[in-house]
Amino acid sequence: MDFSSLPLLSITTFLPVIGALVIMVLRPKQTKTAYGIGIVFASLTLLAAIMIWIQGIGSSLSQVEELSWIPSLGIAYRLGVDGISFPLVLLTAFLFLTSLIFSAKIKDSANIFIQLVLMLETACLGVFLSLDLFLFYVFFEITLVGMYFIIAKWGHEHRKKAALTFFIYTLIGSLFLLLAFLALYLFSDTNTFDIQQLITNPTITGLAATLTFWGLFIAFAIKTPLFPFHTWLPLAHTEAPAAGSAILAGVLLKLGTYGFIRFPLQMTPDAFREFAPYVIVIAVFTALYGAFVALAQTDIKRMVAYTSVNHMGYLIFGVAIAAVTTTTSGMIALDGAVLQMISHGVVTGVLFLLVGALQDRTGTREMNEMTGLLKTYPILSGLFMLAAFASLGLPGLAHFPAEFQIFLGGFDVYPVAVGIIIIGLPITTALYLRAIQKVFLGTLPEGFTGLKDLGSRELWAIVPLILATILIGVYPDSLLSMIHATTNFFGL
Amino acid sequence: MATDLLNISPQLIVLSTTVIVLCLEMARLPRAALWALVVGMLTATGVAVDMLGTDTTAFSTTFRVDALSLWAVIILGPATILFALLGRSELKDSAREGTIYSLMGFSALGAMILAGSGDLMFIVLGLLISTLAGMAMAAHPRNDPSSEGAMKYFIYGSVAGAIMLFGLTFWAGLAGTTLISGINNPDLSSYAVMFGFITLVIGIGYAASLFPVHFWTPDTFEGAPVSIAAYLSVVPKIGALFALAQVVRDLPVSLVDWPLILAVLAALSMTFGNVVALWQDNVIRLLAYSTIAQSGYYVLGVIGVGQSSLAIDSLVVFGVAYLLMNAGAFAITLGEGTRLDDFKGMGKRRPWQAVGMTIFLLSLVGMPPLAGFAGKFLLFGAAIESGYSWLAVVAILNSAISLAVYMRIVVPMFFQEAEDGQIRTYAPGTSFVWISTFVLTVVVGIGVQWFLT
Repeated sequence: MDFSSLPLLSITTFLPVIGALVIMVLRPKQTKTAYGIGIVFASLTLLAAIMIWIQGIGSSLSQVEELSWIPSLGIAYRLGVDGISFPLVLLTAFLFLTSLIFSAKIKDSANIFIQLVLMLETACLGVFLSLDLFLFYVFFEITLVGMYFIIAKWGHEHRKKAALTFFIYTLIGSLFLLLAFLALYLFSDTNTFDIQQLITNPTITGLAATLTFWGLFIAFAIKTPLFPFHTWLPLAHTEAPAAGSAILAGVLLKLGTYGFIRFPLQMTPDAFREFAPYVIVIAVFTALYGAFVALAQTDIKRMVAYTSVNHMGYLIFGVAIAAVTTTTSGMIALDGAVLQMISHGVVTGVLFLLVGALQDRTGTREMNEMTGLLKTYPILSGLFMLAAFASLGLPGLAHFPAEFQIFLGGFDVYPVAVGIIIIGLPITTALYLRAIQKVFLGTLPEGFTGLKDLGSRELWAIVPLILATILIGVYPDSLLSMIHATTNFFGL
Repeated sequence: MATDLLNISPQLIVLSTTVIVLCLEMARLPRAALWALVVGMLTATGVAVDMLGTDTTAFSTTFRVDALSLWAVIILGPATILFALLGRSELKDSAREGTIYSLMGFSALGAMILAGSGDLMFIVLGLLISTLAGMAMAAHPRNDPSSEGAMKYFIYGSVAGAIMLFGLTFWAGLAGTTLISGINNPDLSSYAVMFGFITLVIGIGYAASLFPVHFWTPDTFEGAPVSIAAYLSVVPKIGALFALAQVVRDLPVSLVDWPLILAVLAALSMTFGNVVALWQDNVIRLLAYSTIAQSGYYVLGVIGVGQSSLAIDSLVVFGVAYLLMNAGAFAITLGEGTRLDDFKGMGKRRPWQAVGMTIFLLSLVGMPPLAGFAGKFLLFGAAIESGYSWLAVVAILNSAISLAVYMRIVVPMFFQEAEDGQIRTYAPGTSFVWISTFVLTVVVGIGVQWFLT
């Protein structure tokens, strides 16, 4: 089909914020109406994203939309999509829709909550679709403001501290990003913020390139996060409301990992190659650290949060492998890393929603205080186990094809590093099995009267994500073919 | 002579407007005085906009008619109107209300003269006009805190001005002329030039609230009416920093490493202002320390003069942005009250004003796509292009600290319950100021192209 007359990328990006404006103007009294409007616009966004897919994702940046903005500084409104960014756009549209469905129980200032979530969705889509450093930065920063208010207003006990830590910490990161962007601009031949030009013709060299690389590294390492910049993550993920955590882990962390691929790997490739060994050491350490600390948690939400750190370690390991080698193994690792973004988004997203459902029923996140829930909540327990198995990398589920490719690609170049990082797998297996044993098996304490098993609202949010987990696990090529076309085009 | 007068017509319009305003006040017609000020400032701004692109000098190169001096009129003309409206809201029917308007006009004239200085005498003159009028305004309420604040402003001003005058005699003596361009001579004695420059920075830094000559700022702001504090935080600062840019344009780096001196001052100013602001419980004092920090950021643009293509743009855009966000924040403080507790529960009570205040504060942090971001973006760019990347790093770390500062106002607005007590009302002038600056803070951030030369 041909939609080429429509600016599909702009439509996709701005549909959510239009939904927010509609809510602002209509001010629905009923929270149901408000959620209805929000869900309709989130669905339309997903539909528009699928139309982009039908239009055809090229191997290079394509479907470019451009409008003049600040010509004297080489800044323009530029959007475009390729095989790296499109899967993330799809993930974003999908995860925001399910999170919005899941959070329909939030009644406190529901209108504002929905508006913030929709604004956040526009900002996230904008980050993935921007082809201009300035525009990218604008969207990147708006995500912080949106998330700050979601955590601070609708989070759990320590929400204010968590929100402020998240805001300040990630702001430091994005300010380093700003400096790096300014350096890229000042050292480019034509003084431009155009991402396409900066990729095809990376002119920055020498010390400037080194400093820019480390500026980008710090910015994205805080966002991803990598050790030792991860300290904001457990706090923010634990204190945010369930849908907020799902979005935070599922989409917002990907802003960092996507950034690693789009900027250091493509714009300062030589510096990245030079410093890749350091990055690999950090990535390996992050993966193991995340796994071990997750093992030590008793709060189930914190545990899931730390497994994110572990998965991000694998992911950046894959990107760093791609920076070192130009052979096919680099490409395999990068394919794996991109797929890992999607897998982690879907799996961790659904895990956080399930933990939210669990907390709603038991009133606690402490694993020591929950036991024997399998009998009372068979559906919830079954789905949680499935998601947990996906997260620990069971073949046939989403994480396996991604992590397998990362390790396969890495084995060719750094077999020892792969040997070490792979220790993370048995540890995550152990911690998930222990959690399942504690929470779901055993006997229910007497007198426990919780709510019913998952209701239709929760099922509508969770089941699609579980289906996606299985689909990616069984048929990864649905996304991999698109990803591979682009990584192949990188010609690393 | 005729072309000279034509070239300084914006400043002449401001001067005659101010004299008319003063006459109307003598006739005890404060309302008419306010309107005369509005019309005159708008006319001067319009003329300056029309003259944009001119690059010449007047009166034997003693006054420069260039991007900086024209933009000073375009920024400070509307600024004076906004602050006069705030003053009307706050001081309506007080004794000698109209004097405020004429003093604002005079002080703005001083700042506009500073911004176009081509001669050392103009710097001295501009600084005097701008700050003397400010002192009188700060003392307007005639109570203890305001008299104390005005006294501090006066004594600091006298000492700083005297030191500057003493140092500048060295420059005039060395160069044999009071023209700033006279100093552009690599054969001069480096030590004497450096001495002159340091005293100049003391004089200008005082008006701009730069560390270490900022001490008057919090006390004077706290004692003065809110609208006057808002005025003092913006108008003299922009004039003074533009004057500094006029001086360093002609100052050879081989004689005195002025970028380094300014970089150290900028770093100290930012850090001191932001860190001390963390402990303030009075919103006016908090904003006072924030202006000290913002002055520090602003100096990054001056450092870029002559070395970065972004320098003049950054000075202009940040000037516009700084006016908008500071005027807005002070306007809402005028409406809500000066204690942090007054902001409790504002999100429920007045959601639009709360959103407005959040936008102003986020703009001060430098969040895109707001005006403050556009300004800081150019300032950082100018610093990096001039080889001062370390200063840009200090500036971004300070932006992160400043987020913690401004969040101290945002948190009570949205996440704390209101205290019992009477709710203040917004005068029409206050509402006009915060709404117009709110819209413009967003519009300027996106439409920054209009302000680039």
